[in-house]
Amino acid sequence: MHISDGVLNAPVLAAGFAGTVVLAAITLRKMDLEDIPKISVITAVFFVTSLIKVPVGPTSIHLILNGLVGVILGWRTFPAILLGLILQALLFGHGGVTVIGVNAIMLGGGGLIAYMVWQLRHRFDIPKKEVVFGSLAGAAGVASSGIVLASALLTTGEAFLGTAYYVLAAHVPIIIIEAAVVGSAAGFLKRVKPEILAGQTSKHTASS
Amino acid sequence: MPLDIDRYSHLSSPIQRWDPRFKIAALGTLIISIAMLKTLPLAIVALIVVIMILWFSNLPAHFVSHGMTGVIIFLLPFFLIMPVTYPGESSASFLGMPFAWEGFRLALLIFIKAVSIVLTSFAIFGSSRFDVSMIALQRLKCPKIMTQMLLFTYRYTYTFLEEMRRMHTSMNVRGFIPRTNAYTLSTFGNFVGTLLVRSFERTERVYKAMLSKGYQGEFHSLVTFESNRYDWIKLILIIIMAVCLYTVDGWSGFSPAQQGWY
Repeated sequence: MHISDGVLNAPVLAAGFAGTVVLAAITLRKMDLEDIPKISVITAVFFVTSLIKVPVGPTSIHLILNGLVGVILGWRTFPAILLGLILQALLFGHGGVTVIGVNAIMLGGGGLIAYMVWQLRHRFDIPKKEVVFGSLAGAAGVASSGIVLASALLTTGEAFLGTAYYVLAAHVPIIIIEAAVVGSAAGFLKRVKPEILAGQTSKHTASS
Repeated sequence: MPLDIDRYSHLSSPIQRWDPRFKIAALGTLIISIAMLKTLPLAIVALIVVIMILWFSNLPAHFVSHGMTGVIIFLLPFFLIMPVTYPGESSASFLGMPFAWEGFRLALLIFIKAVSIVLTSFAIFGSSRFDVSMIALQRLKCPKIMTQMLLFTYRYTYTFLEEMRRMHTSMNVRGFIPRTNAYTLSTFGNFVGTLLVRSFERTERVYKAMLSKGYQGEFHSLVTFESNRYDWIKLILIIIMAVCLYTVDGWSGFSPAQQGWY
């Protein structure tokens, strides 16, 4: 899910790039050399898995999984998703070059929100909390992306009002699917390789 | 199925021979100018300009059209949604639904601009090797950390695609059929998790190997750039084109796509 070239007007595009530069500067500061390969791996996986199609009735929906990136990379989600978008735009013509800023805010911002939701799990002591909060994070990631997308369309002009409603409605099934997939992936990673998850101290939570 | 963008970078043409630094700067400017167009006639002129650039680049038509299919499918919904949802009085009706030509014009403008921009990026990145393009980007002051991660991700993407195809085959062999139910979703979750763990462990090994060979966060390259007169001429030509498109769009009598065809 992303917006393509030629839709938004120049001020919205410029605002997208400005916001992206700020967020990238903040999140890149928390990175060191060792993170480069790790982020690249997750970005590549994120990209590859976005090709998976989930059947929904007669059609199918592509996975987005920006929530899962948030769950794994934490604050470094933003540069990772920015990178993924640049690569998609340059190599495969998905999305577009001029909208990289807006798309990064949309998907990367969603990923950051997913991470915040994911971190809330430390405050609760319930069984299978990785699955529960993974699902919530997955849902939060896509939902906030949908809201950003709809508002980017609205700020471009009232001609897009109908499109914006359509976008929000189309997000409902996506939210459900992402919640289920991210929840089950988070539960899987907790069992198999907990140190891959963001903010996970493997010893501490092993007992829960 | 994605395709490697630099598959035809070995061809010889005025675009392939162009110094990548100049190419990225010039065609990048052209992209920005196309993105700002507001009238249909100028968008069509831009499309023609871009098609000419691609024609000069000698990239095979099937390669470009293969890459464009996804883009076009992605853009088609605009033709359905925009005319129907355009605010205000609709001038016509279509299959019993209100159909606003204003919305259709806007959708057409979006379509032409998007196609031209994607075609331009094909001309940029389809005509040099990917690593050369990245080094050129780095020379153009793109942060090193970004270009390095792009290179890594580019390499990994193909490896993981292969890995995913293998895992998919094994899932099919064991009789998995995706349906609209919770079981399918949780299976996909585990699938993604497995792919992550596998890829992660593999790249950890690669990273350790790189460290032991002295990797310190920098790639050294034998690529050198040399610019000549022709690089400058092409750069200036394209930039003039970009500026003309933008100024004619703003100052000519053409009306924006919301208001009229021309």
